[in-house]
Amino acid sequence: MNLLPKHKKPLQTTNEFDQVIVGNSLSKDAWRRLKKNKMAVISVVIVIIYILLAVLAPVLPIYPYDEIILDHQHLKPSFVKNAGQLLIEKRMADLYTQAWRQERLTLSTEEDDMLWAWIDKNEANKVWDYMFIEGNKQLAEGTFTFNKAEQRTLDNLQRKLKTDLQITVNKIWYTPVEGKKQNIAKLPVDTIAGLYAEMIGSTSEIEIEQYSREIEQQLMKTIKTQNVGLSEEEYALLLEKEIEGLSKKKHDALIRENVLAKIKSRAKEIAASDLKEAATDESASFPLNKEITIKGPLSADVKATKMHERRYYLGTDNQGRDMLSRIIYGGQVSIAIGFIGTITSVIIGTILGALAGYLGGKVDYFIMRVVDIMYGLPYMLLVIIAMAIFGRNILNLFFALAIISWLTISRMVRGQIMSLKNQEFIEAARSMGAPTWRIIFRHLVPNSLSIIIVFSTLRIPSFIMTESFLSFLGLGVQAPFASWGSLVGDAVGGMTLYPWKLFFPATAMTIFLFAMNFLGDGLRDAFDPQSKNQL
Amino acid sequence: MTKYIIKRLLGIIPTLLVIITISFFIVRVAPGGPFDGERALPEVVKRNIEAKYHINDPLIMQYGRYMFDVLRGDLGPSYRYKDHDVNFYIFESLPNSMILGVIAISISIIFGITSGMLAALRQNTWVDYLSMAFAVIGISVPLFVIGPVLQYFFAMKLQWLPTSGWFTSGDGWKTVILPAITLAFAHFATIARLTRSSMLDTLRSDYIRTAKAKGMKNSTIIFKHTMKGTMLPIVSYLGPAFAGIITGSVVVEQVFRIPGLGKFFVQSSFNRDYTLIVGVVIVYSVILVIMNFIVDILYSLLDPRITYK
Repeated sequence: MNLLPKHKKPLQTTNEFDQVIVGNSLSKDAWRRLKKNKMAVISVVIVIIYILLAVLAPVLPIYPYDEIILDHQHLKPSFVKNAGQLLIEKRMADLYTQAWRQERLTLSTEEDDMLWAWIDKNEANKVWDYMFIEGNKQLAEGTFTFNKAEQRTLDNLQRKLKTDLQITVNKIWYTPVEGKKQNIAKLPVDTIAGLYAEMIGSTSEIEIEQYSREIEQQLMKTIKTQNVGLSEEEYALLLEKEIEGLSKKKHDALIRENVLAKIKSRAKEIAASDLKEAATDESASFPLNKEITIKGPLSADVKATKMHERRYYLGTDNQGRDMLSRIIYGGQVSIAIGFIGTITSVIIGTILGALAGYLGGKVDYFIMRVVDIMYGLPYMLLVIIAMAIFGRNILNLFFALAIISWLTISRMVRGQIMSLKNQEFIEAARSMGAPTWRIIFRHLVPNSLSIIIVFSTLRIPSFIMTESFLSFLGLGVQAPFASWGSLVGDAVGGMTLYPWKLFFPATAMTIFLFAMNFLGDGLRDAFDPQSKNQL
Repeated sequence: MTKYIIKRLLGIIPTLLVIITISFFIVRVAPGGPFDGERALPEVVKRNIEAKYHINDPLIMQYGRYMFDVLRGDLGPSYRYKDHDVNFYIFESLPNSMILGVIAISISIIFGITSGMLAALRQNTWVDYLSMAFAVIGISVPLFVIGPVLQYFFAMKLQWLPTSGWFTSGDGWKTVILPAITLAFAHFATIARLTRSSMLDTLRSDYIRTAKAKGMKNSTIIFKHTMKGTMLPIVSYLGPAFAGIITGSVVVEQVFRIPGLGKFFVQSSFNRDYTLIVGVVIVYSVILVIMNFIVDILYSLLDPRITYK
């Protein structure tokens, strides 16, 4: 029986003036406040750019971060000059300076004094830069000329710069007398071995035997490093066992790998000598990408670029690796550790804090005592010990950090949940028979999400700092990998001569940390306007 | 109060025991011993060394022996350095770290509070913006970046200060300046921000308004009434600050080549010098725990509303 007049439920809530009332949630409100905060918006953009760069690093047009080119050690950052030009400049500046020292290149007394003052102050860079300009001027005016030996070194360098190639061999093809072209990686082992044997003029049996022996040696090496301090007979026994354990298939696969690598390096040599001629008489244009016949029925897809036409916008490090790509890949490692570490520690902290807060009693007491004691530990030192002991790799670093950094978040979540757990909606859920886990994870945790988010954002920069701190000490990420911390750490030694090695990674890192801190502050102010300006 | 102090002092003991235990076991569980060099030692030599350092005893016996020694104040022999025991190395290098730490924390407190107060008293003026900009830099830039950058500009470019070294190296007190500033920077920043926000809060509270209404001198209000209220969050920050100074000194000592405990710590963790690592961790922990204790007591002295039972 329904006495009230039937009417349609209004689709929108209206107030007494018939104005539509739009619901407003905490997150919507926070988002509106965040958008008003200029610094926070800029920070969001910066963070997104960094994350995009880090994620897209493999497809960006940058050099591989671990590609070592020893000729290109410590090249200056330059937008307009390529590596070859920089190398020539470096050599010329060097020659001019030598000539000045031998008093073949004369300067005014004031200039001499200035240069000596720089040398006293260890500012070799300034001296070279000055000498390069001055030397060029004198060379043009004719007051200074290179002697024969110097001219010869310069010519040799020029020739080398013109002809040095960087060659990568991608696929090697086999074209039988009759039949289709095939990728040799897909041929059976015997055929490949036969081809290689033909290449160097032996038979496939000899080759296969040779490789079996090589594999034995490799196995022996691993056995010896794994089991230290055994006698020769014991080693031999272990080796026999190991070889018996290898199936025919695996054995073949190992041989195939070895032979393919040999063919490839051989192909590279042949292609290099062919292309060098082409580069010298300028009959081919580079970069070049084509198929080259190696020997007989074999041909290879070869990619060749002039090595000294590479450009390093942010300079190179002590092994000739491109700083730009090292910084981007280093950022990838640092940011990944920052995010994944924060997520892990937040998950651990939230679960433990929620359990402690909701269950109370003995559970609470136990968890909070553990937290108290761990707070008293110099945890950074324990992380350093752990890294030194369990091996310095990214995974260990990440675990060590996650284990120690859940403390604060667990305390915060516990406090929040203790204040929420006596509210009516929890009462309601409990009286409807919801199980404990459901109350905690469907009702309590989502309601504490805002403080969790704010805390996580502020946690990421401190995580990145900790990681970099360890990498700086040499206890974190290991070469050839990089992180911002290890890049800065590597740069500190030579910072007078190669300031760019310190400057760029430090700047990249600082900007990101700035942005994250501003974003965290902005989020906190947005979620909790009362907390403005508090730490 | 006395009861509380005694209770807190007793609470220190389990923390220290846990620290010693954790660091002892974490080090023993590790693969590879301190004598696994590049070259394998002859069997007999190895056995002799291991017997000398009791490495092959059951773990629990080693632990018991070690605990007993530590409680007597003896941190044992160093596995790596044969000339002296761990106590010698620690007491040789600890004073250097202490001097650096004390100077750094004083710098950060003095400058942090001053600039925080100025910022709060001149809110929304250039003073405020400048000191807060500094504070943001201090919080965002890691100290292993600040250190080399300061070194680069003040020592190498301007040559005002020595790049590295310590008192004994001939440059005297000048060597202390750069490392202390580096170490102090992050904490200076945090203290400045804390002081500012806490001072702003206090200035708006009722008792300050009362004092103003009574016509008190401005300086009396600021230094007598506001200061006490402002100090509370700063004092509670000092605990983490000490911990930060200790870990920070590991990096700073590395960058500025200071013969302190931190440098030892990094070296010995590369060398797997068990006893030295554990010794350094114990010393650091004792300092940290004592500092936290002092901070707690200070806190209760400053705020009469807090009563401890």
